[in-house]
Amino acid sequence: MTDDPDHEEMAATTDGGLATVADEPRAVSDLLSETEAGIAGYNYAYLDEHTKREVRRGVLNAIALPGHQVPFASREMPLARGWGTGGIQTTLSLLGPEDTFKVIDQGSDESINAANIRRLAETTADVETTTDTTDASVIQTRHRIPEEVLTDDQILVLQVPTTDPLRRVDGSDDANRRRHAHKNYSKMWVALYENVVEWGEIQISARYPVMVHDRYLMDPSPIPRWDTSKLNDADSLFLFAAGREARIYAVPPHTDVEPLAFEDRQFQVERFDGKRCHRCASTDTYLTEVTDEDGVTRYACNDASFCEKRIEDPTLSKSHHLDDETVAWGPGTPDPLVDDARRETVLDNGNSSVTEGGDEA
Amino acid sequence: MGYVAVKAGKDVIRKSEQLFEKGRIEGEEPNVTVEQVESQFGRLVGQVMSEGGLYAPKLAARAIKQAQGDAAEASFLLRAYRSTLERFDETVPADPDRMFATRRVSPAYKDVPGGQILGATKDYTQRLLDFDFDDTDPTEEWELADEKPESLRNVMELLREEGLVADPDAETDEAFDTTRDPVMFPASRDAVLQELARGETGAMTALAYSALRGYGQVHPTLGEVRVGELPVEIEHPYTGDAVEVTSVEVTESESVVPVFAKRDDPQFAFGYGLVFGRNERKAISMTILDASIQLDGDEPAEDAEFVLDTVDGIDSFGFIEHLKLPHYVTFQSILDRVRTIRERRGLTNVERPEGDASTDRSTPEPDATVTDND
Repeated sequence: MTDDPDHEEMAATTDGGLATVADEPRAVSDLLSETEAGIAGYNYAYLDEHTKREVRRGVLNAIALPGHQVPFASREMPLARGWGTGGIQTTLSLLGPEDTFKVIDQGSDESINAANIRRLAETTADVETTTDTTDASVIQTRHRIPEEVLTDDQILVLQVPTTDPLRRVDGSDDANRRRHAHKNYSKMWVALYENVVEWGEIQISARYPVMVHDRYLMDPSPIPRWDTSKLNDADSLFLFAAGREARIYAVPPHTDVEPLAFEDRQFQVERFDGKRCHRCASTDTYLTEVTDEDGVTRYACNDASFCEKRIEDPTLSKSHHLDDETVAWGPGTPDPLVDDARRETVLDNGNSSVTEGGDEA
Repeated sequence: MGYVAVKAGKDVIRKSEQLFEKGRIEGEEPNVTVEQVESQFGRLVGQVMSEGGLYAPKLAARAIKQAQGDAAEASFLLRAYRSTLERFDETVPADPDRMFATRRVSPAYKDVPGGQILGATKDYTQRLLDFDFDDTDPTEEWELADEKPESLRNVMELLREEGLVADPDAETDEAFDTTRDPVMFPASRDAVLQELARGETGAMTALAYSALRGYGQVHPTLGEVRVGELPVEIEHPYTGDAVEVTSVEVTESESVVPVFAKRDDPQFAFGYGLVFGRNERKAISMTILDASIQLDGDEPAEDAEFVLDTVDGIDSFGFIEHLKLPHYVTFQSILDRVRTIRERRGLTNVERPEGDASTDRSTPEPDATVTDND
């Protein structure tokens, strides 16, 4: 295809009595010239309004059916698929000029991918951005829920690589949708049981499957198990979006979210065995370890923004910004070996009613 | 260069973009122009348009230049641009018989109505590296009659008239558009064909080859492989007549497969392929995958969900390359699992000396030691 014949063809049509629409584009090249100004040629928040409405309808559906995966016609974004395109489509559909936006990737505002997503929102949606969790109205995140307790004014948009927890036991989305419809999660339970038989533990690290409102089994995105309990009965809205897989799902405020576990193998979060952040000395935050060239391992808070605050004020609580400072989330770090051993002993004694603490997850 | 603990994330991104751009222009040779890419790398332009799902040779050439020849990246650029475009209208269904073919082979018959047209192909060229391009037009001295390329009757029609090939399902009123509605399974055949037409050439070839290689039952005989210009028509908004607005270069292939669906009325199964640009490998692969999916068997290439989930280059390249992103949160969680399980087995975990909070408060950036050269 060349532009010239095109142009002649269209021009001929226009001359034949349609001259009144002279201002409208008459050829593909006219349309293209509009967008040469770069981002100025794009719609507010990049996506066209039709797409944003579609995403928002998907979000509303998802909120109405907590944990249910709602299909939507995911668009190609100027970010590669698998790099947060579902999150950014959802975010851009929600953002308005009054919003304050925060992006974190692996707990860090300054990771390059977070910076890249932030600059896309800044340039196309003209929003204020922040690194302070408590200042943000919309937070897009990959693999973490912030340490500071989220409020009912806030929306957390989680980027999702794999939408269905049943993918672990069956690759077919078609078959898994049927299982969800029938609330048939037996294959998952068997897999977990086999896991325990083989390894003595449930081997799942991050992306720990949760039951939402006692109805849908849900993949909470690859957040560590540490963050999983924060989904339960929270004040904030959690949206989960997968661009490549074209699904949106949600955990609305005050929804029951329970990790799958057995009576004698309770849900465990990551253990840090009394380790503390080498910068702010926190012991109640998710830490990541780095071993330097001398073989010395350092632990540091993963939530970089909260760590900065803790350096200023080591006693700052995770709910310092709320009226009631005792509200907190994120677990302590119990020793699962000790706990399971105790449970096994009790169960062996014929007392099967010991599930106390099983709900603390 | 650290890729996490950098305060000026935006600056780092800009610099890496500039470094990438430098790779394109730092050579001593003159810059290749978009026009040169379009006219001299026509096959690549076709592949990028096909995988990008947008017929726009000039934009595809621009994308190829920008991507420094990376076909997947160029297709992605084109798709991301495409998703911002308004969808004005639909064309009238194009009839491939109206294609002006510049090449047409029909392996099923020795001769066919309209004849075999070998056209421009490297198929029978001895693949020797040419150390002496002379850059003159070797066809200059040809004596050509002033004939226009012909539109040809499809060989498959002959077989269908005889009742030897199954008919496709009746067309639906409105075509499914996988860019506007998510593909759900079981997927309609038009959705399958659209996704295959946008598939990544290498992935299509690999999956189609798997069926031929023994993981499937489709070993087709090709009725047609043709390359040519297909007229594109839209309905005139005032008269309602079909008006030709442009034409697109496409490769079409159709195959018969000796697998019979009905015992009382044995007929060939068939597969169809149509892709933008000159890309016979992909068009033939598409016929094999279409035929395999219609058989709906147990082999990988016969599973529509498996094929469509893996064949899209934009999806697969994005997700494969996302593994370069930092994963230290999830990795910490994985470390916790393996250590806990080892502990449960009575194995000891080596304890490394731990940097203490009191001694390390002065360390400016905790993550500064996380380095990566990506």
